[in-house]
Amino acid sequence: MTLAGLLPIALGGAAAITGLYLLRMRRRQVVVPFAALWQQVTRESESRKLWRRLRRLLSWLVQIVVLLLICAALGDPRPDVWLREPTTLAIVVDRSASMSGPTADGGTRLDAARVRAQQEVAALGPADQAVIIAAGEEVGVVSPRSGDVAALSAALATIEPSHGEADLARALALAEHVVADASGPRVLVLTDGALDDGGMAALDRCTGGAVPCQLVVVDGVTDNLAITAFAARRYPNARDKVEVLAEVKNLGDTPAVVELDVEADGVSVGRRRLELVPGQSKREALGDLEAARARFVAHLRVVEDPAPGLSTELGPSFDDVAYAVVPPLSPLSVTVVTEGTDLFLEAALLTQGDHVELTGVTPEQARAGHDALREADVVVFDVAAEALPAALPEAHVLVFDPHRNDPSPCPIAKRTDIKRPFLTEQLRDHPVLANVVLKDVNITRGTTFALEPGDQALVRSLGEPIIVLRERGDHGLVAVGFDPRQSDLPLRVAFPVFIDNVLRYFEQREPGFVASIALGSSRELALADLGVATEGVSRVRVHAPDGTVREQPVEDGRIRLRALLPGFYEIDPLGGVAGDPGGGTDDAVATVAELAVNQTGSAAGDLHSRLADVDPAVMAGEAPTPAPVAQGPLWTAILLLAAAIVVLEWASYHRRITV
Amino acid sequence: MALRQRAATTARAGDDDVVFDEAFLAKLELLHVIARRLFRGRQRAERKTRKIGSGLEFADHREYSPGDDIRYIDWTAWIRLRHRLIRLYEEDEDLPIRIVVDVSDSMSTRGRAKLRYARQVAAALAYVGLANLDRVGLSCISGTTFETLPAVRGKGRIFKVFDFLRTTKSGGATDLRGGLSRVAAQSSQPGLTVVISDFYDMQAFEGLNLLRFRRHDPVAIQVIDPIEADPRGTGLRGDVMVVDCEGGSSREVTVTAKTLDAFAAAHEKFCGALESSCRSRGIHYVRANIDIPFDDLVLRMFRMGGILL
Repeated sequence: MTLAGLLPIALGGAAAITGLYLLRMRRRQVVVPFAALWQQVTRESESRKLWRRLRRLLSWLVQIVVLLLICAALGDPRPDVWLREPTTLAIVVDRSASMSGPTADGGTRLDAARVRAQQEVAALGPADQAVIIAAGEEVGVVSPRSGDVAALSAALATIEPSHGEADLARALALAEHVVADASGPRVLVLTDGALDDGGMAALDRCTGGAVPCQLVVVDGVTDNLAITAFAARRYPNARDKVEVLAEVKNLGDTPAVVELDVEADGVSVGRRRLELVPGQSKREALGDLEAARARFVAHLRVVEDPAPGLSTELGPSFDDVAYAVVPPLSPLSVTVVTEGTDLFLEAALLTQGDHVELTGVTPEQARAGHDALREADVVVFDVAAEALPAALPEAHVLVFDPHRNDPSPCPIAKRTDIKRPFLTEQLRDHPVLANVVLKDVNITRGTTFALEPGDQALVRSLGEPIIVLRERGDHGLVAVGFDPRQSDLPLRVAFPVFIDNVLRYFEQREPGFVASIALGSSRELALADLGVATEGVSRVRVHAPDGTVREQPVEDGRIRLRALLPGFYEIDPLGGVAGDPGGGTDDAVATVAELAVNQTGSAAGDLHSRLADVDPAVMAGEAPTPAPVAQGPLWTAILLLAAAIVVLEWASYHRRITV
Repeated sequence: MALRQRAATTARAGDDDVVFDEAFLAKLELLHVIARRLFRGRQRAERKTRKIGSGLEFADHREYSPGDDIRYIDWTAWIRLRHRLIRLYEEDEDLPIRIVVDVSDSMSTRGRAKLRYARQVAAALAYVGLANLDRVGLSCISGTTFETLPAVRGKGRIFKVFDFLRTTKSGGATDLRGGLSRVAAQSSQPGLTVVISDFYDMQAFEGLNLLRFRRHDPVAIQVIDPIEADPRGTGLRGDVMVVDCEGGSSREVTVTAKTLDAFAAAHEKFCGALESSCRSRGIHYVRANIDIPFDDLVLRMFRMGGILL
């Protein structure tokens, strides 16, 4: 019924009520013997007369309100939110690490996003639906598409900040996919704007897409100090010692001071007080630490007595701690192919530490395909006049005078033969030539090499490459264009240093130096990179920092690691056949590897919004007003309200509370 | 038929009539009306007065003056003192009692309970007075009524009293001051004046005070209906129009529990003020609650109040 149709009813009813009200107000007469006493009593309450009149007026108004409510119920009112087309809203909540940053009111950015999402949910009409998607390193549907406000609200409360960047690209793609076929699709992104490039690009795609996409940017405090790098390494020449490097950056807008505390296996091994201007990063190295301590943790701690003008605000805590493990000291297998006449080379190799395992092979055995060549990490060919094998092994190779006999298996082609070459130029900054002085080396003869793209001429003789480094996939090849026996190089200090540099260079290219990775939902990781032997390993058991353990199959020596928490992970190789629980054993087949998972870089800790210049048209604006009633016809609620008022009025009147 | 039986039979004639049973009347005969002062009477009776006359009890001497009866000269004193002194004797006379009944409309509310109660009290007092050879007169007063029964003497006149109380019209506004002033003016001889009323009149005490000024010995008997005095138990609530039964002002009142509390307190204050005023002027005051059985009031309350001996 329309308003015009209801108006006569309302007016008539109001007139009737007023009439009845006046009838009701005719007072009952009570005959008393001495009215003067009543006058005396009521004179004392004369000041309350106005209030009594107001109560009478209030009683009349209550009746009129009840009438109007009944008339309104007859009209079957429906709020605008019910009359419009049903909408399907995908709420994408950014739960990246930066969302745990504080806001001005003391809460977190995620709290503010939750509140806004709650307002959006509360504004849903009876036919509207919403889906809530949480975007962290992993994207998850917190609540499926539903119109149940209670379920949606409960789902919002379960969202917690993650430890890494939000994968907005996947989240927005999922959101668009969920609402694409529904009526009134809309995507609402709740973020703090501290996004990486991928997130910014995803937002650009979403706001320009077919599905309407709007942004809500929650503000917050931007002061933050973060550990942006943290690693531990063994000294190249003292592998029982460890050096730790930490980088701290001030990502805020005010000068700050902080204390960097590095712990090894729970014991503090060093503290540094750092003062940083906005945007500045400082690196601190702690040296000569015992390699027996395998785990290092760096903390940022608040300075108790800061200088005036320096902030001590650390910001969110996720980037105030970092983890590192000492790379494992894996043995290096070196096979020397020699006919036994170069004692200087053998002496230089024997000076290596215990982790270098030497194996001697004759040229004949090498040509016959000795197993030591296939298993070695590094193969040194010093065969003098003997012939090289038909093909160089799949290993790092140091070969002397490879083109002495033709044809040569050396992939670095010979350019020309030289008599009495002089070593005139060398790459002093290259690690292979560190501390190596080749000046005035006398050489009887040699060959120069023809360089190919990617080759590095470590040493030249009058411009011609005579020592060349070539990268062959996962392996390196160092070719020396002369025989040490035909030079006085073995008599010089540079020779053992050169041999040591070459082995160290090859060793550092070997797996085992990947001791820290970045947070990520799922990434492929080579077991060899962790220093784990892959032979016979079909599964690994991964122990996460939160105590959870799960098994991962190993394929081609690689696993997919899901590292969502920073901290130390343990990779426990297992034997058996992947996918066949009964086909193998769970016996550990190799040493347990440790892996540190950290935030990487400063992008996650930068709390500044990158959406300051975004088009205002894509911003969602103020929060919508809540829908008056979630579901059900409104006229029933109005009638119930009217009935409640009538009951209250009746009860109060008959108890003489009101008149 | 004995007079007492006849009186009891007559008294049961109607609902509005005064009601006495035989045992009650027998008890009344044993009571004496006591007056705190001695008044001059017209005929001999059993009450002492200060009138010097033919009594037997010596009272005093005074100087002889010419014309005095020489029979009262105290010759013994003349022999001793050579002064001619006259012997004075106290003379026994009757007590003039005037019973004033308020018959205004305020006494007739709630089924005329108060008026019936007042008539019973008046009849009882009259019977006691007549039984003791006192002269008893009655007056019924209101703003529109003033009827008087002249003083009668002798127990046989009680029927006149009953007839007077039964036939007198009731109604009109309460006007105790005017009515009592007329009573005082018509009484040639002061005496005990009992006023039976609810005293719902702001000038009630002025009437009593006027009697006292005319050398009467007023006694105030305030008849109270407990329901009217404290209406909290009546369930009266809400908006009412309070109308005075005597045609006075009306007032809109929202009756609440607090209002009723205030009214009960105001009524008690009003009665207390009347009692306090009476006692400060030496006027007997008795509060007669109609819930109290009539014979209890007459036999016990009056004795406690010092009216009956």
